[in-house]
Amino acid sequence: MTSPAPQKAYKRSWKNLLINKRYQLQFTLFMVGLSTVLMAGLGIWVMKVANETTTVSMASVRGTPCPKIPALTDPSDELPPVPMRLPGEDEPTPAPAAGSADAAGSADAAGSADAAGSGSARSADAGSAATDEEPPRKIKVQIEESTMEMTPTAPKVPEDFASKVVGHWTCEMKLAGKIAKLEHGRALILWVLIGTGLLLVIGLAVYGIKMTHKVAGPLFKVSLYLAKMKDGRFDKVWNLRKGDQLVDFYDHFKTAHAGVVQMQKDDIVKIKGVIAAAEAAGAGEHATVVELRELLARKEKSIE
Amino acid sequence: MSDPTAATGGTASVPSGGPRPRYKRKLSNYLLDKKLQLRYVLLVTILSGMIAGALGYLIYQQKRAASESIEKDLQALTQADSSQEDFQEHVASGLQSEDRALVYKMVGVGIGLVVILSLYLLIMTHKVAGPLYKVSMYFDRMAVGRLGVVTPLRQGDMLQDFYLTFHEMHDAVRERAKQDAQALEDALGALRDAKNQADYRGEKQAELDEALAELDKHLAERKKQLA
Repeated sequence: MTSPAPQKAYKRSWKNLLINKRYQLQFTLFMVGLSTVLMAGLGIWVMKVANETTTVSMASVRGTPCPKIPALTDPSDELPPVPMRLPGEDEPTPAPAAGSADAAGSADAAGSADAAGSGSARSADAGSAATDEEPPRKIKVQIEESTMEMTPTAPKVPEDFASKVVGHWTCEMKLAGKIAKLEHGRALILWVLIGTGLLLVIGLAVYGIKMTHKVAGPLFKVSLYLAKMKDGRFDKVWNLRKGDQLVDFYDHFKTAHAGVVQMQKDDIVKIKGVIAAAEAAGAGEHATVVELRELLARKEKSIE
Repeated sequence: MSDPTAATGGTASVPSGGPRPRYKRKLSNYLLDKKLQLRYVLLVTILSGMIAGALGYLIYQQKRAASESIEKDLQALTQADSSQEDFQEHVASGLQSEDRALVYKMVGVGIGLVVILSLYLLIMTHKVAGPLYKVSMYFDRMAVGRLGVVTPLRQGDMLQDFYLTFHEMHDAVRERAKQDAQALEDALGALRDAKNQADYRGEKQAELDEALAELDKHLAERKKQLA
């Protein structure tokens, strides 16, 4: 006598996850849809706050003052100012600057330009004053060729110039870093939001299908037994797979199945008793007893 | 699943002759199958709570950084002027209360999210647990041989296909049981007639009488179950 082979442990297959499409997809899609709407609403609000906060922070960072780079000074700037009008005939001509020829030239040029302007002004004054004395005369300007010698001058560099430049750019870079960090924080929130949103949607979809499968599985099994019962076959009911849900529901089904089987068994006992009594009484060949035998056979077959 | 017959108090099993009152869902009946329903609700609630918490933490961090930056700048600006200290404190406390308000808002939104999802899942799982509960109730009746009339599901319930399969099976079993009962009743009548007409021997006739009486009793019981 051979012992029955051990029953192979049932393995769930991904292909069979959608047993009851209508129920499973309806449940899962509704769950995913609602979560998406909630996540989108939350995301819009979060991003609004994040953008606002980032803008405020960035404005605050941009407004932070950095030490300025000192300007390089030209030694010529320290020269005495050039007079804005030519001295009068009775006034002494200011001596040209001793510093450089350029300075002198510029002073001369400025002086001559000014002289031209002020000269005309002066001539106007003099003209009005001299209308009584003598007729107005034209100013004669004579430009003579001349040479100008220019000597390049090195700007004056303050002693702490280098440290101040370093300080300025360090500060600027720190501010740029802060702004970049803020922008990065905002981007991080956006990506985390998108990531968690996708994770939630995918996770809920997978979870929904898997969980509903654990419900749809037993229901599918019960449906198969129900179809058999409908056809009048009351086979042995096997247990659920490990991890399936609706264990209590399945127990209810098993008791119902057992109840229907018991009904058949009760009928069989009564029919057998009547047939036996009829046969003993000599009515075994009666048409009714023949019919009862057929009924008995059908009922016995149904619970095999 | 809890015992469905216990919840109905036995009244639901007695079919009434009058029109059936329209069933109204009660809030207290929403948790029909605690194990099944709470499992869904808890998992989704914890998941959404964690996500809302993580997002809330990120946004709070960003907001706090902005507030701190403003406070720092304001401090630097008003450092030289001691008369501005009150203003600075006022602004700082305003920013802190804004941050706190944001935390409260986020907690509120998180709780709202969790409550909405939980309620939704409770309703959705109830739409599954409801039909299962009803079918379980009929299964319990079938277990004691009672094959009464099956009423349809409520509008909006899920598992309509499954329930239809169950309904068809129940009707088929009930119809077959009725036919069998009818066939046995006919047989009982025919054998009684035959007994009266035939010349059966005394002792065996008594046995047949007894068997027919038992069958009669059995049929009466069966008819009661099928009513």
